[in-house]
Amino acid sequence: MAKKDTVLAIEAMAKRMRRNVIEMGYVAGERGAHFGPALSCIEIVASLYSEIMVHDPGNPLLAGRDRFVQSKGHACLAYYAALVENAYIPREAMKTFKGDGSYLAGHPCRNLQHGIEISSGSLGNGFAIACGMAKAAKVKGEKHTVFCLLGDGECNEGIVWEAAMNARQNKLDNLIAIVDKNGVQLAGKTKDIMDVDLVAVWKAFGWNVIELEDGNDIASVLEALSTMKATHEGKPHVIVANTVKGKGISFMENSLNWHARSMNTEQYEQAISDLAKA
Amino acid sequence: MKKLTQETLQEWSKLGHRNAMSGSLELLAAERAEVCVLTADLTPTARLNKFKDTFPERFFDVGIAEQNLIDFSAGLAVEGLVPFAVGIAAIVPMRCAEQMRVALGYMNLNAKVVSIEAGVRFGPLGNTHYAMDDIAVVRAIPNFTIICPSDPHQIYKAIMGAAELEGPVYIRLTGDSGFPLLYPDDFEFTIGKAIEYKPGKDVAIITTGSLLAEGIEAAGMLEKKGISTRVIDMHTIKPLDTEMLDSVFKENTLILTVEEHSSIGGLGSAVAEYKAQFANAPRQIMASLGDRFQELGDYGYILGKCGLKAADLASLVEKNR
Repeated sequence: MAKKDTVLAIEAMAKRMRRNVIEMGYVAGERGAHFGPALSCIEIVASLYSEIMVHDPGNPLLAGRDRFVQSKGHACLAYYAALVENAYIPREAMKTFKGDGSYLAGHPCRNLQHGIEISSGSLGNGFAIACGMAKAAKVKGEKHTVFCLLGDGECNEGIVWEAAMNARQNKLDNLIAIVDKNGVQLAGKTKDIMDVDLVAVWKAFGWNVIELEDGNDIASVLEALSTMKATHEGKPHVIVANTVKGKGISFMENSLNWHARSMNTEQYEQAISDLAKA
Repeated sequence: MKKLTQETLQEWSKLGHRNAMSGSLELLAAERAEVCVLTADLTPTARLNKFKDTFPERFFDVGIAEQNLIDFSAGLAVEGLVPFAVGIAAIVPMRCAEQMRVALGYMNLNAKVVSIEAGVRFGPLGNTHYAMDDIAVVRAIPNFTIICPSDPHQIYKAIMGAAELEGPVYIRLTGDSGFPLLYPDDFEFTIGKAIEYKPGKDVAIITTGSLLAEGIEAAGMLEKKGISTRVIDMHTIKPLDTEMLDSVFKENTLILTVEEHSSIGGLGSAVAEYKAQFANAPRQIMASLGDRFQELGDYGYILGKCGLKAADLASLVEKNR
């Protein structure tokens, strides 16, 4: 079990990250932002950057660093929020999110100096690229781990399963995928659009699967990630994390309306107040 | 580097572009440890058995999954390996257009995509296996270099050159077994620099890929009729050698572009797009596979139907002079 103070520190990190998400999303104004899918995966991304991954903000190209690929690129706000908290991205750059000429696009654009390993946002492809990155580590005899965050809706994509088969065939036990199963995709609930038993499917594809009943619970996320990181038995790993879409913001939680949209001042103030109370 | 012998070139000419490709990749991989080869269940078809046996740790078969072929290659390239992803031209650029755009083009990754059996060489297999639009697809993706080698020796040079060039490269292979060795001796090959195969004052025949052989033969026929014909091997379609085109616009009076590709988006289009800005540039006629699905038939039959044989090219020039 993770130490209590570690969990508390990551909780505090998650709270700061949520604040960053709201600030950046609000700055985007009419351009809108994907709030819901960013807020559901905050605990996962916070745990990775705070505790699980080997990385060095002072040396983004550190040899032997663990890799993080945010395949659900539309949730870039969670990614940027972590990169800001870890000083890969200067805090003042948050004001430029989705702005003209900014490097903080609505979907991540490869930028190694700022900690963004690959461009993603065309769903499924980031995951398939992450599999190639894990294979490269095997070929080169490198010991780092590749982490890849997917959405549950993203698992509709055929490329996910082409890559999943291939990862198993290549015994990529240095690869840990995390499916942020928040139950809502763009047009509605995932069970109404494409009802798939993801745990059963990933198992059928030969992956080592852990399902988290509460993927927003930091202690469980840490335990699953650290167990998998230490397990090398020739199978790639996937955590199917049941999360809450829009987690932490009262009017966004489990809402079908907050996958992506713009936020007005009243809503911004409500969101900040929700975070202050948490 | 293991020397490329005349015997090897003759053998590749006899066996066809697939052997020229796999043989070149073997020579390359022997020199460069970061080079790896991927395919989508095409090991025997692409003549990669020997590569697989020689470099098993650098050969990956992703199964029948071409989109993943490209993404998996991208992941390897992100980590500093130099992947050559080998696929069938009819499938790869079209089915994986998005992966080629987002993973390779957008990130400007150092990954190479090699298409075998481009054009209509798969004759009797039918239109699902003809690649008539692959240049058009890849030309529209920023950062990609596109090379269509004309003979076995140029396939070798293109593969070696692509490995040296940082960035995504698409290599498109055409030609049947028994395709002629047009460059028997060592020759200078620079990606992006067309080769003037034969000088000529009147007509300029600009070809890409293995149809260079037909272009050369057509030029011979025209010369016999007193028409001075220049032959240009435009092996690189992107970036286009505009310096060579400028010289054609200045020195020749008629241009014939020749390609085993749709009339839309290939060599003819690329030349016409560049030429459009010049008021006094010569007229251009295009020989291509047209804008249609083809009638089923043998490779030679379809090329003939499309007017891509030497005699067709020569008479097209005569009619348009």
